[in-house]
Amino acid sequence: MKQRRRLTKWLVVLLILHGIIAAAGFFAPYDPVEQDRERPYLPPMHIHMMEAHGHFHLRPFFYPLRLREGSFDQYEEDNATAVPLNFFTRGTTYRLLGIVPSRIHLFGAASARVYLLGSDAYGRDQLSRILYGGQVSLLAGLLGAGITLFLGAFIGMAAGYFGGWRDDLLMRIAELFLALPWLYLLFALRAFLPLSVSPLEAFLLVVVVIGMVGWARPARMVRGVVLSVKERDFVRAARGFGASDIYLLRRHILPETASVLLTQATILVPQFVLAEMTLSFLGLGVPEPMSSWGNLLATLQQYNVLVSYWWMYLPALAIVPFFLGYLSLASALHERTSTYKIDEKSKWNLS
Amino acid sequence: MQPLLKVENLVKHYAAGRSAGTKVKLAALDGVSLSIPSGETLALVGESGSGKSTLALCIACLERPTSGNIWFEGIDVTALDENQQRLLRPQIQLVFQDPASSLNPRWTALDIVSEPFLVQRHFTKPDRAVRALQLLDRVAIPRKMAARRADELSGGQKQRLAIARALALEPKIIILDEALSALDCSVQAQISNLLLELQCSLGLTYLFITHNFAMAAHLADQIAVMDRGRIVESGPAENVLRSPRHQATRSLIAAMPRFIETPGVLVHS
Amino acid sequence: MRYFICRALHAVFLLFGVSLLTFLFSALTPGNYFDEMRLNPQISPEAVTALRAQYQLDRPLPIRYAHWLNAVAHGQMGFSFAYNSPVAPLLWVRARNTLLLTATATLLAWLLALPLGICSAARFGRAPDRVLSWTTATLLVIPDLVLALGLLILAVRTGWFPTGGLVSVGFDEFSALQKLRDLTLHMALPVTALVLATLPMLVRHVRASVAEVLDAPFLRAGAGHGLPEHKLLLGYALRAAANPLISLFGFSVGTLLSGSLLVEVVMSWPGLGPLLLESILARDLYVVIGGVLLSMVFLVAGNLFADILLYWADPRIRTAASAK
Repeated sequence: MKQRRRLTKWLVVLLILHGIIAAAGFFAPYDPVEQDRERPYLPPMHIHMMEAHGHFHLRPFFYPLRLREGSFDQYEEDNATAVPLNFFTRGTTYRLLGIVPSRIHLFGAASARVYLLGSDAYGRDQLSRILYGGQVSLLAGLLGAGITLFLGAFIGMAAGYFGGWRDDLLMRIAELFLALPWLYLLFALRAFLPLSVSPLEAFLLVVVVIGMVGWARPARMVRGVVLSVKERDFVRAARGFGASDIYLLRRHILPETASVLLTQATILVPQFVLAEMTLSFLGLGVPEPMSSWGNLLATLQQYNVLVSYWWMYLPALAIVPFFLGYLSLASALHERTSTYKIDEKSKWNLS
Repeated sequence: MQPLLKVENLVKHYAAGRSAGTKVKLAALDGVSLSIPSGETLALVGESGSGKSTLALCIACLERPTSGNIWFEGIDVTALDENQQRLLRPQIQLVFQDPASSLNPRWTALDIVSEPFLVQRHFTKPDRAVRALQLLDRVAIPRKMAARRADELSGGQKQRLAIARALALEPKIIILDEALSALDCSVQAQISNLLLELQCSLGLTYLFITHNFAMAAHLADQIAVMDRGRIVESGPAENVLRSPRHQATRSLIAAMPRFIETPGVLVHS
Repeated sequence: MRYFICRALHAVFLLFGVSLLTFLFSALTPGNYFDEMRLNPQISPEAVTALRAQYQLDRPLPIRYAHWLNAVAHGQMGFSFAYNSPVAPLLWVRARNTLLLTATATLLAWLLALPLGICSAARFGRAPDRVLSWTTATLLVIPDLVLALGLLILAVRTGWFPTGGLVSVGFDEFSALQKLRDLTLHMALPVTALVLATLPMLVRHVRASVAEVLDAPFLRAGAGHGLPEHKLLLGYALRAAANPLISLFGFSVGTLLSGSLLVEVVMSWPGLGPLLLESILARDLYVVIGGVLLSMVFLVAGNLFADILLYWADPRIRTAASAK
């Protein structure tokens, strides 16, 4: 029972996190590509409730930043003008979940732009870019995991059910894929494909490449399940009624693999999101102006950014709650289905 | 009149791994011959490992024998290809020893019993449910259990379910592979009575496989004793019981629990 | 012995397979190194063709593979277009730098993980164990990219550590002590990043293996005999828990060359990682193949090494193998 509660708790956490990213348009005050060349590299703004001379406001407000006297990159708060935050305000149009057009944002400001997490070189709001970037990174991870699990399940079932030379061949190929360091494989696969493509094509390429890298482990696990289920008497009995192979695979064997695939999913999705981040960080993934957590971090490769603009690191932290959620879910699931405990320590094993 | 089932010189080898470079073959069946007339029960008795289950699988067309013939209603089953065999399989049904593994634990009782109809694509969905419930009645499973999952049923109920499922496609012969061995004594008695009753009313033929001679004596018309892949003795049940000729038979009979009749008391010796 | 010969052959097959796969990849890729040159108006098409012929890029694939195999048999690994030099020396230098980093990090990680894991298992469920578990869980949740970048920012803002490279300018003029100090300062950040990335998993495994063994009756018997705790833990428990740990160690050894790619790129450490990345991007074929193969050799060697260790350490495996 305690396990059930843990499971539900983390599921809810993950749903909330994904929900926030899915509704990025609502939570983000601005459009991610909206530039403001007058305000590059603004540090995060502070939200106040109390004015300098002790006047308490019920509604939070902020001071717009202005350049300090005599400097060209130091900012200070302009104490004269206090700009209040408006909640559920009307802003730029966006499409909720890509379908429903809406203009309501969680918060915003009327007379000045509020940069809760700072701005980048083109004056774009980092908070908005992180939220929208999450959509790209998470989607890449989810789709990639979907492809991998589909491939893995298909190959695992084929190898386990039909056996013989097909099984040997498929498992040898799987060994090869398992033996290669996955980062190398990822880079090689991606880099050997055309490099300068449109953002959408790049995204699809990234998804396909990520999806094709990790099928070997799920395939082996599914094969294990299939091998054990294949010998169960209820499968024999069904054959005794004249059941065809397809029927057996679909009705009896596939449902047994579900729990294995689910556990794998919770481990793979965060890994694949990280893979997208890594690819984009190195310039092999999603290009500008589309934002993803990875290419938001790419600016950190410039020394001056690293030194002076620490808030450009924040997109990196965005993935941490997701990792936490997924890994906790994975361990809760693992406890629940411990009959299929596969030894993580033997993951290097070639045999 | 020709027997319903006739097995002639059945041989089944399994490859059992390698030792010092050569493949070792395990002879599970080493020339088995038997025949069962329609409507009768043949009990196949033997120790574990004597090859009984392998024989059951071969007769049910779930394994291909290495050599030998199986005749079912005059048709040489071993000469048929996979598709033809698939058409014949519903007539020869198998009830396994362990109902926990012969029934998919996640499925409901109703689904399990109607699975044969689903596989053979007989009847419409509502019709299947009706027939399935009728089958449940036949084996005395209360209808309210129909929606329960298989792992929620008791051992006896599970085995009845397995029998109900085996009856679904109206087979001519049912092979019971140690079907009663995993049950409690009282439940065994109930189910063996059910089997006898079904045989009477439906005209079924049984191949009853067991290691328990007492059970065999209770249910069977003919008894065949199996030892290490061969039939070593066979004949009418009475004869085999009273005058066993082979050593294997004798040791199996000796393993039976004996009851000494003293006036008024039935004592187990 | 047959067992090892079998595994060794298996390993060789794997290496062949990988090299073939990489070669095939190159055939399927749209573009090669000289396409960039073709775009350059200053270089005539004839020159490009001549260069291609010189590097035998116009020959069919099987012939190129055969040539390359031949070269490897003689200890060479082809030629780098981008660096205009043979591949082998290029690889050795970079590999050496990488090994410097990863060997140090792996050693440190294991030296830390063993005592931490054993103590944790010995105090299972109590305060020190829970603190450690919580710490490892937190570290596990932070991916290595995030860790590396975070450390980098730390370095930059505090100025305590240099932010890239192997050594400082003017290294050759330093005294021996200064050289050591300089190298250590440069290595500090990448090594920290690597250790923090691998430590949590190691500690968890050590803890799990030892905890599993601590329940065993023979240990309780030993305690009953009055053996002191540290002797019990180190002499008996550790030996019994050794098998999965040895496999894990083999895995650590196997990833010596390939596990640090990201950290090297982020921290600008001149190792195998950045070389591979830029070669892949530049389509510098032989460098890529050579680099991948070198990493694979380590992986395979790591596995074999673990097998040998297991064979030597565990008498059960020895008897099972000789019984065959």
